Amino acid sequence: MASQSKRAWQSKHCLLRHFCPCKSAGMLEQAIESLTAIWKNERGLIVASAGVAASLYFLASKIYAVREKSQLRKKWNSAPKDVVILHQLPRGKFTPSISPFPLKLETYLRMAGIRYENDFTEPKSLENKTPWITLNGEDVADSQICLELLADKFQKDFSCHLSPEEKATARAFQIMAEDHFYWTGVLWRWVYTKGKTLRQIHATFAPPLSLKIPLVCRRMKSQAIGQGLGRHAEKDVIEMGIKDLRAMSHYLGNKSYFMGEEPTELDCAMFGMLAQLVWNMPGSPFERLLNSELPNLKRFCERMKDRFWSDWDQCLLPVPL
Amino acid sequence: MAAAALEGKDGSNVVILHQLKRGKLTPCISPFALKLETYLRIAGIAYQNDFDEPMGPKGKTPWITLNGKKVGDSQLCLELLSETFHKDLSHHLSIEDKAVARAFQIMAEDHLYWVMLVWRWIYNGGSSLPLIQTDLHFAVRYLRPIVVSRVKSQVSAQGMGHHSQSEVMEMGLKDLRAISNFLGTKSFLMGDQPIEVDCAMFGILAQILWNSLGCPYEPHFTAGELINLKGYCERMKRTFWPDWNQCLIPPLVR
Repeated sequence: MASQSKRAWQSKHCLLRHFCPCKSAGMLEQAIESLTAIWKNERGLIVASAGVAASLYFLASKIYAVREKSQLRKKWNSAPKDVVILHQLPRGKFTPSISPFPLKLETYLRMAGIRYENDFTEPKSLENKTPWITLNGEDVADSQICLELLADKFQKDFSCHLSPEEKATARAFQIMAEDHFYWTGVLWRWVYTKGKTLRQIHATFAPPLSLKIPLVCRRMKSQAIGQGLGRHAEKDVIEMGIKDLRAMSHYLGNKSYFMGEEPTELDCAMFGMLAQLVWNMPGSPFERLLNSELPNLKRFCERMKDRFWSDWDQCLLPVPL
Repeated sequence: MAAAALEGKDGSNVVILHQLKRGKLTPCISPFALKLETYLRIAGIAYQNDFDEPMGPKGKTPWITLNGKKVGDSQLCLELLSETFHKDLSHHLSIEDKAVARAFQIMAEDHLYWVMLVWRWIYNGGSSLPLIQTDLHFAVRYLRPIVVSRVKSQVSAQGMGHHSQSEVMEMGLKDLRAISNFLGTKSFLMGDQPIEVDCAMFGILAQILWNSLGCPYEPHFTAGELINLKGYCERMKRTFWPDWNQCLIPPLVR
């Protein structure tokens, strides 16, 4: 046994001399021998020290995180009165947000002329939702609840001129976009293409952080199955998404905005969703549809971008040259 | 019940509708089964019911067997039936109206449905089930906590599970108000003739109106702002379910 381990040791060091043929190889061999001896004699102490060091590092990072959060909280709470802090994911490469809901909410803030500041450090609320807002020290999650609270607070109602029937239709289309079509997009982005487009559209998912993409894919697949759409075959899901888009296109028709010639809250929601197809789903059947059969939806997105996002390019990351 | 044995000897299309057993207050306690069976009746498509195998492909109910072929999901079934039997109840609508009909159907089936589900299984803990169905499914009768847990997990995945009870019920009320405002004084959602969306709408509204005992929406239906939705459900029931009482278990004798 001793001769076997000695031959193995000699073989390993032959390899070392092969790759490091200068005299430092001899010093390196001595160092390896010393370290091996220390490991044999002080194994327990080394493991215990490593454990203590890891615990101290963990504790220090936790304390640091708590301190950071506390400082952020002070910063948000000390924002000027009635200035909204909008917490969301960092900017995308082609759109200010790769998620439809932050884009909807931020477009609404711009449309309503409500002062706001962005926070990209804490995109998830305590309920693990994004986006969320802090307003006068109060946190509110869910883009629709935020929008309705802001509308009430700042007395903004872009749908006041609509009849009850038209308001009902607007609600139905918003729910179709956000509670049905949204899931076909999720399945395409995270399941059918396995998140591969994320690296193209968002800097956060560049290597090595792209290692977390498979985890996100698994979570989104599980959510889509729970919701129901994830149990269908891919071709059926894509067909459902296409039918939704045709319905949106047919309803929009030649109008500038979904409910007429002036934008309403519905347009913020539609823009949030459709912008993902125009700019963030390269190669998808939805993108092809907007470029061929349903160009009015693409023109709608360009119109919303021109009207409310004159600084669009400055809101991308990295900023285009 | 072997599907192959039920194929018509002359090769004609045979529809077997597989669903849960009849309810006490409505023929189906599932909105999608009620939608599909109502569609079969409106379209005049002959069908037979099977209550022994309610769970089909994709673990969903209802489902159909059409000439030996199994098809799951009520909407996919409806579209296949429409194509097979050349029934298009919406052919007279403009493309804009068809788009509106689709939007309302999705609002009912992919949003309001979840409010109903959350109320039935989570806020009420499934305790209303024995009140609305005599012959409960095995899982509901003996494994109710597991069913409740599964529904919670689905609702959480869908998103509604992250909201408070008051927020969820408010969302549902807004959906109901929207449907009521859009229906107005019309007989059916898109005009004077019932179409596919009416089947879907009736399926969901019937559950909320008749199978959600103690639900906070009850006063709105009976004497409040949603009274036209009650009239709508009564109209659908009267027109397409003249044998409604005989389809209940136990049958209602009046």
